[in-house]
Amino acid sequence: MSEHLYYPVNDFGPLMKGLVIGGLAIAHVFLAMFAIGGGMLMCYFQWLSQDGRCKHTRRFIDDYFRVLVLISFVIGAVTGVALWFTSIQVSAPTIGMMVDQFHWIWAIEWTFFSLEITAGYCFYRYGTNLNDRTRLTLLGIYSLASWFSLFWINGILTWQLTPGAWAQNGSVWSGFFNAGFFPSVIFRTVTAMTVASLAGCVVINAMPGLTREERTDLINRAAHFLAPMLLMPLLGAWYFGTFPPDARVLVLGANVPMMMFMGLAIGASLLIGFYAILGLLRKKLYINGATATLLLVLSFAAVAGSEFVREGVRKPYTIRGVLYSNSVTPAEVAHLRQVGCVTNDPYPLQNPDDYPNDQLRLGAKVFRFHCSVCHTVKGANALTHLAGSWSTTQKRMNIAQLQRTKTFMPPFAGTPEELEALVQFISWHTADAPAKWSESNDAETLHQIRDWLDEVGTKPGIELELHVEQEGGQ
Amino acid sequence: MNDPFPFGLQGPTAFYLVLYLSTLLIHIVFMNYVLAGSAYLAAHLVFRGRTNEESPLAELLRDWMPFMLSAAITAGIAPLLFLQVLYQKHFYTANLLLFSRWMAILPVLIAGFYLSYLLKSKLVHRWPLAGRAVVGCGTFACFAFVGWSWVENHLLSVQSQQVWEEEYVAGTLLYHNPELLPRLTLWFLAAFPTMALVVGWQLWYRHGRNNGGNKVAVNESVPKIAGSRRTAVIAVAGIISSTLAALVYFSVMSSDARDAIKGPVAFPYLVAAIVGGVIQLGAWVPQYLAARLTKKWLVVATVGLVVNFVGMAVVNEATRLAALDITELYAKHKQAREVGGLFLFLLFLAINTGLMLYCLRLVRHGWQAAPKEGD
Repeated sequence: MSEHLYYPVNDFGPLMKGLVIGGLAIAHVFLAMFAIGGGMLMCYFQWLSQDGRCKHTRRFIDDYFRVLVLISFVIGAVTGVALWFTSIQVSAPTIGMMVDQFHWIWAIEWTFFSLEITAGYCFYRYGTNLNDRTRLTLLGIYSLASWFSLFWINGILTWQLTPGAWAQNGSVWSGFFNAGFFPSVIFRTVTAMTVASLAGCVVINAMPGLTREERTDLINRAAHFLAPMLLMPLLGAWYFGTFPPDARVLVLGANVPMMMFMGLAIGASLLIGFYAILGLLRKKLYINGATATLLLVLSFAAVAGSEFVREGVRKPYTIRGVLYSNSVTPAEVAHLRQVGCVTNDPYPLQNPDDYPNDQLRLGAKVFRFHCSVCHTVKGANALTHLAGSWSTTQKRMNIAQLQRTKTFMPPFAGTPEELEALVQFISWHTADAPAKWSESNDAETLHQIRDWLDEVGTKPGIELELHVEQEGGQ
Repeated sequence: MNDPFPFGLQGPTAFYLVLYLSTLLIHIVFMNYVLAGSAYLAAHLVFRGRTNEESPLAELLRDWMPFMLSAAITAGIAPLLFLQVLYQKHFYTANLLLFSRWMAILPVLIAGFYLSYLLKSKLVHRWPLAGRAVVGCGTFACFAFVGWSWVENHLLSVQSQQVWEEEYVAGTLLYHNPELLPRLTLWFLAAFPTMALVVGWQLWYRHGRNNGGNKVAVNESVPKIAGSRRTAVIAVAGIISSTLAALVYFSVMSSDARDAIKGPVAFPYLVAAIVGGVIQLGAWVPQYLAARLTKKWLVVATVGLVVNFVGMAVVNEATRLAALDITELYAKHKQAREVGGLFLFLLFLAINTGLMLYCLRLVRHGWQAAPKEGD
């Protein structure tokens, strides 16, 4: 077995690393949806313009595209790179493995992204002086390229949760066309159409010099892109059905925040859906700028909720079955329990003098290695808040059998001494970091911890759960 | 390694290195345009004083800056990807050590993007000098910051584990290295010949179009093109000053890096870089003297730049190879080479490049007066 690769770990202060990457991912995904759906919407309006069925469509397209270039081409492009860099900060081994496995897919996506930018800028710079046919062709190429960007990235993202046959045969294509691929790509396409339509309604309201009837006409045309929302419950159920059973359980109640975010996504989608289907499509109502903006914000909430769930249900892994969220592989757990998870970590502590004894210094290193990717000491998702009320014995047992304590947690991968150091580290912080703190190296305690570790084994909690279910059924 | 690059390397490593350098060169064209162009614009905004005199170069640069920045970011994705395949541990470690300083390039890039759009607006040109200077210098400062961060990141990435550990403990977010300033200066000055060449082509094309087709521009007896002389001066000054900067940088490099440049791996490329520079000088001087840009000399300058680029890129990479033990990474590169998707990448690269050219052709041929609303 190859040695664990250690990277320097940064402290995000009171911010949870997952929140940072999650927030960035949500912003990027929303902007990407706006760009992808926007391309399709403009193709539709260009077609309407050529058909002569709707006035002012050409002007709408040019206004919409200006917004798209100023927001999506700038912030969308940079947040894409930001996502890459932040992924390195949060979990370098995860993004490294993704690059190793899928660099050609990413390279393919790059060719489509380049095409998207080229077609987009050609339209942005010269669109007003081009004939209809050329405009439609450019918009068609732009839409196709942006949609294919989604297509390629979607395969990598869904692979993280459902790697499918890749886990056995190592084939990129088995991993890419995994169980979640098609429901996810269709679901995201419908979401992109929804976001684009609602953004279109905002832009239409911001266009000067239009009468209310003219605005209503444009809004009703843009609302056609909301019709596919009718398919969302089916698509959502299909996608949800591809989740592994333990991931479904997380969303259905085992993890309260996850359930709440799922509720947010469904609730916001339902609100938009009802308004869109009944008000805009059936009654052909007019919506003003404030309502359109509110609906757009709701769509952002829906995207945020679903992206949070997508990121969260992978726990305890970042790549299912291959890499735990703390960058330990399942195969390494037993080894690290023997040699220690920080024994070979070459990076010293940045603040060793803050701790009154060596055991706490060891605990700080174990926290940095094992916990810091998802937890803080006293900030968001803080260990002192989660485990502060536990007795010392409870802490020892709950951490030793972490995957049993919470099935979405990875198994503890360290020695009993490291575990005890972590327990003392949490207790010391819970006690507001006093200047004096005695070490606890009781042999009996360490022996007990070893027993607990041995008893639970190195398998993840989700597999233990299956095992318990099977035993119960026999 | 006793063979010229990339022959002394294992197949997959050589393959990824060639791919990395090829895509990096595309990125550098746009990057140089943005860096040198924003520097020129900043200087122009500050020094033109109250005369409000417009220069064709400044007008062109302002107009194209947002697109070129977008192209630079887009073109930067591919080399960034292959860099991660090649030097994953080194690149990631440097990223992590610089942490928030490194991450700051993202908001700074967004600020630079919007400032470049602001530069385009007519409003700014009516502002007093101080206001114009803030926008112009602010735009340049953003891109210079990004350049500085990349150079710092690179220099840190090629250090030993011991330096990384010291840097981590220090937690300063700044990495001090004597090579930083000379290297950054070299990159900055070398950006000007590229920018001048792209601007030269743009001026030449625009002049030809405004005169009813390319025929006029191809002809040697074309009237003088506004901005030609200044473009040529920028190119020549860039080539000479960057050569001097390269000599200074060479003198402060580690002896290993110097040996690598003089050794069999990189020496042929060093010669190519020098030859490329001389070709460019030979192409710009007649254009300066005639105060006109001609297709013939622009083509020669382009050839010179390409030769120079390839040479410099390999020389630069040779210094990295001198600092690392690349053989340790052979197994990882071999493993990466075995994953599927290369054929499809090449296929889509060809198709999408064709479509990009088709878009440009469409724009060129589809031009017509915009129909009025409701037509």
